[in-house]
Amino acid sequence: MAALLGIQILGGFFGAFMAYYTFLHYKRKEITLKEYSFWIVLWLTFLAVTIVPHLLDPVVKTLNLARTMDFFIILGFMFLIGTIFYTYLLVRKNQKRLENIVRKVAMDAPKKKQ
Amino acid sequence: MESTYIVIPAQNESSTINGVVTQAKKYGNVIVVDDGSKDTTGKAASDATVLTHLTNLGKGAALRTGCDFAIKQGANKIVVMDADTQHNPQDIPRFLQTLKNHDVVLGYRKRSKSMPSILRFGNGVINTMTKILYGIDVKDTQCGFRAFTTSAYKKIRWDATNYSMESEMIANIGRHKLSFGEVPIETVYADRYKGTTIIDGIKIVLNLMWWRIKR
Repeated sequence: MAALLGIQILGGFFGAFMAYYTFLHYKRKEITLKEYSFWIVLWLTFLAVTIVPHLLDPVVKTLNLARTMDFFIILGFMFLIGTIFYTYLLVRKNQKRLENIVRKVAMDAPKKKQ
Repeated sequence: MESTYIVIPAQNESSTINGVVTQAKKYGNVIVVDDGSKDTTGKAASDATVLTHLTNLGKGAALRTGCDFAIKQGANKIVVMDADTQHNPQDIPRFLQTLKNHDVVLGYRKRSKSMPSILRFGNGVINTMTKILYGIDVKDTQCGFRAFTTSAYKKIRWDATNYSMESEMIANIGRHKLSFGEVPIETVYADRYKGTTIIDGIKIVLNLMWWRIKR
């Protein structure tokens, strides 16, 4: 096995830390088993392809990319854009929910001068 | 008997709201929507029926809460106005008089030197856009002093939670071909940092275009 590059070590630490962080939140019961499984699989896959990037060679070759790093960057951007859009939808949904609750509470409890 | 409700959205207006409520009470039932104030606005408006938004939602949302509540109380006519003494409650009878012949009455601010020039410019742009996009010639699309009947409210009810609601209301007037009258009002600009900002103005113009496409 070839010597690890600095970027691989950094990526490895990042993947391991994120996996630990996900585990911590699962143990604190802040995320469900389903969510935990999704994220842990994601981080472990990230860890695996960071340490053994040759695993991605068939994909990189099929997509006509020069380096595995390029694949990571493209994937990263796609993930980020997707996450931003998902977060936007979530914020809008919560905004609407909050608005409905606040308006309902206001209308249910009018204060009148006796 | 016709029942008139005056809806006043208020955020951090503890110093002015009591005076406005006292004056407005002469012309109908007053509903103040305290839109998440940090001061004692709700307490200061205790002469009126006070609806409290636990957090600030914006002028459009506050007015919708107040108008929906007024309808639940059996309102026939609704007048909406600002809480910061910018609008004079003594103008309400003129609005109600004009409402006898129309579905909606829109106030318009007389041109004066007291109107900040940026407001005058922004207003001009929005008025022109409204005329081009909706074919409605309104003297002041951004004036918040208005009156409408309950049946008209059901057609002009807005979704916007912010200052775009005034334009959305006009867009809905055009869409439903409602009749409207206009009443000149005197305006006092008490606080230059409150009200519609340049960013609000840009949002309003973009929304006007969007509502036109959506129609």
